[in-house]
Amino acid sequence: MITARKFPTITIDQEKCTVPFLCKKCLQICPEAIFHVVRVMAKEKRLEEMDPRIDGTYVLSVNRRDKCTVCNKCIEVCPIDAIKIEV
Amino acid sequence: MCYFCKEYGDPEFGDGIWYLNPTNHARNMYKLRLPGERFKGAEVGLETGVHEGPTIEDLINATEKGDYEEYASIKQTIQERGQGSQVIPLEDADKVLELCSPIGLMACICRKGWRAIDERNEEEYTCMGMGAGMLKWERWPERYKGGVKFVNIDEAKEWNHLMDKRGFVHILMLFGAPFIGGFCQCDYPDCGALRNAVDFGLGTLKSHYVAEVDYDICNGCGICAQRCQFGALKFEVTSEKANIDQFKCYGCGLCETGCPREAIKLVRRETRPALAEVWT
Repeated sequence: MITARKFPTITIDQEKCTVPFLCKKCLQICPEAIFHVVRVMAKEKRLEEMDPRIDGTYVLSVNRRDKCTVCNKCIEVCPIDAIKIEV
Repeated sequence: MCYFCKEYGDPEFGDGIWYLNPTNHARNMYKLRLPGERFKGAEVGLETGVHEGPTIEDLINATEKGDYEEYASIKQTIQERGQGSQVIPLEDADKVLELCSPIGLMACICRKGWRAIDERNEEEYTCMGMGAGMLKWERWPERYKGGVKFVNIDEAKEWNHLMDKRGFVHILMLFGAPFIGGFCQCDYPDCGALRNAVDFGLGTLKSHYVAEVDYDICNGCGICAQRCQFGALKFEVTSEKANIDQFKCYGCGLCETGCPREAIKLVRRETRPALAEVWT
């Protein structure tokens, strides 16, 4: 059985966060591993190798916000202030 | 009996366990997918695009609303869309490696996604691909950036034992049942298959075994407690011995292989009637 519970809303400023796969600070500091980095899903490009150094080839997302404890470690570690958490 | 065994098991081989039935490893299994039919799970993966239909995010939103019906329906859709996977203990993994060909070591896609760990060379690889599908690896340059290291059975077993020593859970990944396309070395939380299974009871089935402690031999050293990824095994303070919740146990056998005194044994799940159908 599940019980209703409000989860934190985490937003990532995609304009600022351009090379998450290279930076990876939030991905590796999060105790609950709620972040996820995926390659851009251009259908026609899916068979090509992509260079993570190029802006916008990888996108950071939050996949498990139900696990966020709002410890704010990701906000502290982010060098470009791209993460916001609302409780 | 798990649903894979019902469909693909043969009592003559491996006590009816599906992955020990040599027929399921025949080279032509890969071709048995009907042309034009988009197979469940065949296009799943970071490099191929997102799923159609509901995602884990929708499941979380339903939890937030407390809408149980929506939650159950989303869960069922995701479960049916999945390709299927199952935990197997080390001993069975060795038997599977004898049946599969070819076998190639490769980078883990889950650690790449969850922790941005980029495994680029043979020493770092923690994932294994097997079967005819591996021969086409060059079609996905993004997925196989560091290439594939093809290994023989003995090398594969040696690697597998090394992974077990490090403490990874072994999971067989199906790319269209009963075709086994991958053999993953997983841990919580950076592995998708394990994570969805532990958090939501989705995807990965428990193994055909459960672990049991022989209290006469166990001296309470606690080594096994460090190896359990599922919170099933703990050090029981009162008795000063290991204690296993067999309903939580996934039967991965890491506690068994880690025990210095051979105090933990795996027993077949069917031998415990209340556990016989506990697969998630």
